[in-house]
Amino acid sequence: MGKRFLSLWFRHLTTDYMTIRRPELHHIPFVMAVPDHGRKIITAVNAAGRKEGIDAGMVVADSRVLYPTLEVVDEQPGLAGKLIKALALWAIRFSPVTAVDPPDGLLLETTGCDHLWGGEEAYLTAILGRLEAKGYHIRAGMADTIGAAWAVARFGQGNNILPSGQQRSALLELPPAALRIAPDTVDRLHKLGLVTIGPVAGFPRRALRRRLGPELLLRLDQAFGIEEEVLTPVQPVEPYLERLPCLEPIGTAAGIGIALERLLERLCTHLRDDGKGLRESVFKAFRVDGKIMETRIGTNRGSNHVAHLFRLFEEKIRNFEPDFGIELFTLDAPKVEEVTPLQKTLWTGACGTDDPRLAELADRICNKLGPGLIHRYLPAEHYWPERSYSEAGTFEAKPASPWPTDRPRPIHLLPRPERIDVAAPIPDYPPMLFRYQNRLHTIVHADGPERIEQEWWIEGAQHRDYYTVEDETGARYWLFRSGHYTGNHAHQWYLHGFFG
Amino acid sequence: MHINGIYMDSLASYTELQVTSNFSFLRGASHPDELVEQAAAHGHSAIALTDRNTLAGIVRAHAAAKKTGIRFIPGCRLDLLDGPSLLALPTDKDAYSRLSALLTTGNLRAEKGECHLYRADVYAHAKGIIFVVVPADRLNQLFDYDDGFYAAAREYRDAFGDSCYLAACRYYRGDDAKHLYRLSALAGETQLPLVATNDIHYHHPDRRELQDVLTCIREKCTIAEAGFRLHPNAERYMKPITEMRRLFRQYPNAIVRAQEISEACRFTLDSLKYIYPEEITSEGRTPMEELIHLVRAGARQLFGENIPARIETNIRHELDFIGQMNYPAYFLTVYDVVRYARQQGILCQGRGSAANSTVCYCLGITSVDPTKFDLLFERFLSAARNEPPDIDVDFEHERREEVMQYVYNKYGRDRAAIVATVTQVHQKGAIRDVGKAMGLSLDTVDRLAKSIWRHDEVLNDARILEQGLDGYDPHLLKVLDLTRQYIGFPRQLGQHTGGFVITKGKLTDLCPIINARMEDRTNIEWNKDDIDVLGFLKIDVLALGMLTCIRKAFDLASRHYGVHWTLANIPQDDPAVYAMVSTADTIGVFQIESRAQQSMLPRLRPSCFYDLVIEVAIVRPGPIQGDMVHPYLRRRNGEEPVSFPSKELEDILGRTLGVPLFQEQAMKIAIVAAGFTPSEADELRRSMATFKAQGQVTKFKRKLIDGMTRNGYSAEYAERVFKQIEGFGSYGFPESHAVSFALLVYISAWIKCYYPDVFVCALLNSLPMGFYQPAQLVIDARRHGVGFHPVDVNHSQWDSTLEAREGKYFTVRLGFRQVDGIKEEDMLLLIAGRTQAYDTVQALQDSGLSAACLEKLADADAFRSLGLDRRQALWEVSSLADRPIGLFRGTDSESKFEKGIDLPAMALSEHVVQDYASTSLSLKAHPVQFMRERLRNLGVISASEMMSRRNGDFVKVAGLVLVRQRPGTSKGVVFITLEDESGQFNLIVWASVFEEYRKEILGAKMLMVQGHLQIEKEVVHVIVQRCHNMNRLLVAEAPERGAEPVVRVAAKTMLEAKQASLFPEARNFK
Repeated sequence: MGKRFLSLWFRHLTTDYMTIRRPELHHIPFVMAVPDHGRKIITAVNAAGRKEGIDAGMVVADSRVLYPTLEVVDEQPGLAGKLIKALALWAIRFSPVTAVDPPDGLLLETTGCDHLWGGEEAYLTAILGRLEAKGYHIRAGMADTIGAAWAVARFGQGNNILPSGQQRSALLELPPAALRIAPDTVDRLHKLGLVTIGPVAGFPRRALRRRLGPELLLRLDQAFGIEEEVLTPVQPVEPYLERLPCLEPIGTAAGIGIALERLLERLCTHLRDDGKGLRESVFKAFRVDGKIMETRIGTNRGSNHVAHLFRLFEEKIRNFEPDFGIELFTLDAPKVEEVTPLQKTLWTGACGTDDPRLAELADRICNKLGPGLIHRYLPAEHYWPERSYSEAGTFEAKPASPWPTDRPRPIHLLPRPERIDVAAPIPDYPPMLFRYQNRLHTIVHADGPERIEQEWWIEGAQHRDYYTVEDETGARYWLFRSGHYTGNHAHQWYLHGFFG
Repeated sequence: MHINGIYMDSLASYTELQVTSNFSFLRGASHPDELVEQAAAHGHSAIALTDRNTLAGIVRAHAAAKKTGIRFIPGCRLDLLDGPSLLALPTDKDAYSRLSALLTTGNLRAEKGECHLYRADVYAHAKGIIFVVVPADRLNQLFDYDDGFYAAAREYRDAFGDSCYLAACRYYRGDDAKHLYRLSALAGETQLPLVATNDIHYHHPDRRELQDVLTCIREKCTIAEAGFRLHPNAERYMKPITEMRRLFRQYPNAIVRAQEISEACRFTLDSLKYIYPEEITSEGRTPMEELIHLVRAGARQLFGENIPARIETNIRHELDFIGQMNYPAYFLTVYDVVRYARQQGILCQGRGSAANSTVCYCLGITSVDPTKFDLLFERFLSAARNEPPDIDVDFEHERREEVMQYVYNKYGRDRAAIVATVTQVHQKGAIRDVGKAMGLSLDTVDRLAKSIWRHDEVLNDARILEQGLDGYDPHLLKVLDLTRQYIGFPRQLGQHTGGFVITKGKLTDLCPIINARMEDRTNIEWNKDDIDVLGFLKIDVLALGMLTCIRKAFDLASRHYGVHWTLANIPQDDPAVYAMVSTADTIGVFQIESRAQQSMLPRLRPSCFYDLVIEVAIVRPGPIQGDMVHPYLRRRNGEEPVSFPSKELEDILGRTLGVPLFQEQAMKIAIVAAGFTPSEADELRRSMATFKAQGQVTKFKRKLIDGMTRNGYSAEYAERVFKQIEGFGSYGFPESHAVSFALLVYISAWIKCYYPDVFVCALLNSLPMGFYQPAQLVIDARRHGVGFHPVDVNHSQWDSTLEAREGKYFTVRLGFRQVDGIKEEDMLLLIAGRTQAYDTVQALQDSGLSAACLEKLADADAFRSLGLDRRQALWEVSSLADRPIGLFRGTDSESKFEKGIDLPAMALSEHVVQDYASTSLSLKAHPVQFMRERLRNLGVISASEMMSRRNGDFVKVAGLVLVRQRPGTSKGVVFITLEDESGQFNLIVWASVFEEYRKEILGAKMLMVQGHLQIEKEVVHVIVQRCHNMNRLLVAEAPERGAEPVVRVAAKTMLEAKQASLFPEARNFK
């Protein structure tokens, strides 16, 4: 028995997808659009939109002329590609050989699959039923060749199952565009009056090759089944999961340790091969009595360093109770990130946050004492002091701009400025003395004011005039006055930080 | 004592020397006039303007300073590529000229919009200029300036000597004291005096937010990302004197220095004198003598030795006036350009306030015979307004560049340059920029921009709500508020369409010159209004497509008919021409070919030259908005007595039967009836044109209406006059321009009337131009008895040509330029290779044409003389890639032996559709003809049948859509022109019907409508009630299912190819 193929055509792939996500779009005309040279070009239109005369390829502005309240959804680049890939992976349940057919189709080799559903009819119904229930509009075609399946899916009436060996006669009636050939060639065939495949197939092959190139003949042969065509199936992505079944249940801590080390070695080799490092890992032990014990670790930067990871787990597996024994161990890395492999000799030379040992130390401290103890700050480009720094999430994060050096900032900035009482000449001269926590400080030196306005797009309030002052003991403080003395605004003095 | 005296005096006053306006694009956040007004309000004694490497804003500041009575110091900030910036303040006229020359040097060596200057350039131009060194606004980690700055400051001191100062500024960054300390130490060491400035970026602290947004637009980031690129505080505003004194209380001398510099800079723009070039006179004559000499010579040529008495009086009168106003040099300058054009055989025609004079007629600047209308010269040139004369000269659009280059070459690029246009930020641009900077999503920005319909509309909160945006969202309100402030800001310096300034001395003595975006063009930094303020004269060298067409027609007429016509010798007042025009037979005629004009012509029935002048001016927004058209028509047809609102208006309105139609008339009414001064009237018109001055318009409106009602006019009449002026604002159309245009109307109509073959041929060769597509021009010419031959590889030239004479006229051979997608140089190859007729496709390829090019020719069905239709030709052409080459060259191609290939024959209707797709016209048949049978079954009548029906009849008609229009003056009414095989006809669609059938009307290529006929004096319209999209008829010709896509593709191509031109007003529908 020969091969059989199924071609699925998602007629409104992206708009169907949007409608699934935003059901309110179902009955209103909407389009997907991408920017192009300062205009927005429509890439897809839903059924309601087409009814208003709007077509893909139009400029959004022009289509708004036709339908002023047209809804426009920005299409993320590559959306169709991502969708079709995901659908192909999903369709593996119907056939192991599933391929994407850009821009909006799937190809399945169904040889030997359909009988599991009770024949092609039922098989197709099952697939279409599932996809339509999701909300997709589909046309399908089944035939002996990829080309014929593709053609009847798009140019046939309804859903077509071509009986084996009938592809030739079915294709003759269809227009040349059904041959998957370049639009130029289709155009030229039309200009020559060749509006169905029938006469084209009847022409001398040499005459066709001379005028229209080899592609046309190849596509004809593929569709008719004269030339073989193969699919490149999508593969499911392999997750980072390692399993270690045990012949005899393991009952000792040493045994658990050995299992962990084995699994780590395998997982890390796998990770290294892919240029990845793990940020999170889960270690599970399946006990004979059905109980599952698990523990997880996290790292501050991607790691595939077996010894380090082992140390992180080591603490935690101490309280694993083997009881009657453990029959299966798994090690999973749900969160990984790209790492650049470091040469071993360089490890010793790196310093600061580039030194992996620092990160490993931090990992150990956090794993022992709990997260949230170690903070790392980076400069943020804001004049407003409370917003002038941000907490870094990773060890890799580099400052986007250098720490400003032209304006001294206190080494200890209070999280909330504290009210103080001052005696100061107006309007904007530094204070002469201030009272903080019931102690009076006499100011002997002062610099300022540094006037910092509110970032008006974030919040609107009074500006601050900052002064760096030194009291009689030589201690330095950062004080500010909120608002002007003049005008109707109230003003108040605060202490905001201590210099070292 | 003396020093003390200055000291006390200077402390009482202050001059800000470092001022950045919005002419430092995307840096300054206030207009120059706002800054000047603020300085005056604070009692500053003077103000300087120091924009970055430009003097573009100084004229505006100068004008504002004159108004407020404060002294203005022109200057600029020099941003150097190799050193700290300098404020440059010229002390006298020569120093100013040197500064201008310095900027010119920097401009011309850089791309447009940039200025590359080095220290050495500044040293070479330094004499008489006071320089202020601008230190960096940040100190390094050692709380000091970098060594480079100290070195540069010493070098500047050595180069500029006593004319060099050091700017000190209170930035409020916390280290002001350190700054001032370092600077004063430097001042002590180098003897560079410290001068106080406040580095102004806006006139009021409230503008800080806008200034932040401008920074974001400049840096292409959002406000959240802008970080340290913004200023930390709002201190860069114009401060009162007392505050400046307080800030510099420890360095009071710095304030004194500012005043000292201010006193030294006594140069004012008023002292710039415009002097005409000298080259315009000959044989040692004075300009006046030269003008008299030329006018006399011209008059003799035109009228012979016996000059008619009336002409003689006019010439004397005008020359006296010109002499008295001292304008002879201006006329001579214009004459010089016109003379060159005439020598080169380039057609030209002057227009504008002074162009329609007898003097200009004698000089050949205009070809309008001054006896054709009876106007006093002063009507155009008002001595009271003391405004320079204004002559615009139109040249053939294809050859205007020659004239411009002549001007550059004759006077040199240092003496002649084009005036700038200061492009302002419009609503849409403003909201886009501000929205993006404020971090709104692109989608929201789009919606906001959409909510603005027309550029003259104020932002409307209701519209914003309509777009589904939250009108109470504070962030959105902030965006709108900032947008309102930003609108009207200068954005860039563009090139005026053709206004030249030519001077006797170096132009750079007056104003810096910059490179224009176009190659070989240079322009100055000032625009038309700036030039006006300073009293410089400019002449406009403009381009007009119709002149190209007329010249081509003259050339064809002389080659084929042996007659030599010029703009001046076409027979005038020919009744046959007026008869033709009166029946609206005006397709292709200049200005009066549009649908609106065509429906006006039979009502107006022009019968003399002045009627054409009125015709040109009446279908304009001014008269229409002022509701002046119908009163005029009624009076003209004797349905209403001619009366005047008052005696004084009789003089103004006599020629137009008491109805104001021209811009001049409306302005005069404002002066005479509402008591405006002439300059106020002009300001009124200008304020209408600029959308920024909303408040002013209301002020003027009240003044006009109050003034007129006080003088006894009805409020309703006053309202109409105001509306009319409002309409003129955007499309000013004065009588003086209408007169010049009317001449071209008459001449093009005359050619169409007597030589329709020549006319259509010239029109086809001048496209794109005017209102109609080639198909309509050809159909119209055929109706007048002109024969056509299709494009053919063996007969066509690039242009359309005239072939043998058949009957009354020559037959037109369509040119290759008609074929879509073909390049002229390819066709020149083809023509060069055509030593004998091509008999095979291969021979054509041998002439050097690519297969792609031949395929385009096949698409155009241009192989008929080879016995091939387009399909057969394509079959041949497509095999060319496989020709025997090398050793086998010359042997028969394999095509000869191919057998059994029968391409399907093409139906005529298919050919027609393909003709449209390739050449946008078909000589074979009209597309609607093929569907007539089916249309008849639907009860549709043809255009010719419709003409025999009566007013009010209910009809069903159908045709190809030629034009859809929704003019701004029509209150939502849509006008559509359809065409079937028997003719064109017009539809009127009321706004409500349009809303109902929007999809059909906008989507249909082929439209069927039902409605009532409205016939008014030969003007036939269908008032549409129902619409149907009949596009399917364009494709229904092919019966089988498979064939459908062919025609659909073709129809689509046709639609696309023509969409741009068929849909010219598409924007109106938004």
